[in-house]
Amino acid sequence: MSGQSEIIDRVPKDESAPQQPEEEVALNTILPLEVIDKSIGQNIKILLTNDKEFHGTLVGFDDYVNVVLENVQEYDSDGPKGKIIKKMLLNGGLVAMLVPSIN
Amino acid sequence: MSDASPPPPPAEASPPPPPSTSGSPTDFLKGVVGKRVVVRLTSGVDYRGVLSCLDGYMNIALEQTEEHVNGTVTNRYGDAFIRGNNVLYISAAEAL
Repeated sequence: MSGQSEIIDRVPKDESAPQQPEEEVALNTILPLEVIDKSIGQNIKILLTNDKEFHGTLVGFDDYVNVVLENVQEYDSDGPKGKIIKKMLLNGGLVAMLVPSIN
Repeated sequence: MSDASPPPPPAEASPPPPPSTSGSPTDFLKGVVGKRVVVRLTSGVDYRGVLSCLDGYMNIALEQTEEHVNGTVTNRYGDAFIRGNNVLYISAAEAL
């Protein structure tokens, strides 16, 4: 966040000049983890590298994309597997993709 | 001469950390240490036991450990150490 504002601050400020496209790009850039941050509290689908999936409510995550989930259902290639897990910490080492807002 | 007032108490170096409501992995782990947990390895084997401690690699020490393969107990260990790279997930076996 602070890095972003630094970049913007370094752009010379000229009141008369129209909006620079570079500045717009800097403002509109969304970091990948910001997308995930917006999904906290919502349902999320997590695809692993071993073709397993975890569907649940996203509670939190860290820079390694270790993920805390609630009410999780595990899936493998055959479909749902096991019971609903109330709360869990999923190791980020196997995470391939996070897909927000599934139902 | 003058009655020197006692020095003020030293200022707190930092405020106490906020209660663990943010739900980050660290907060989750703080909440489950000492509780019964299920540790699923990438191989699909489950280890159920009391989480005695763990570190940033997700290396885990369990007590009263039961090894579950396909839902049946295959081994029991008093203490078990699990190297973190094998861990798929940690879940609480009882309500937090």
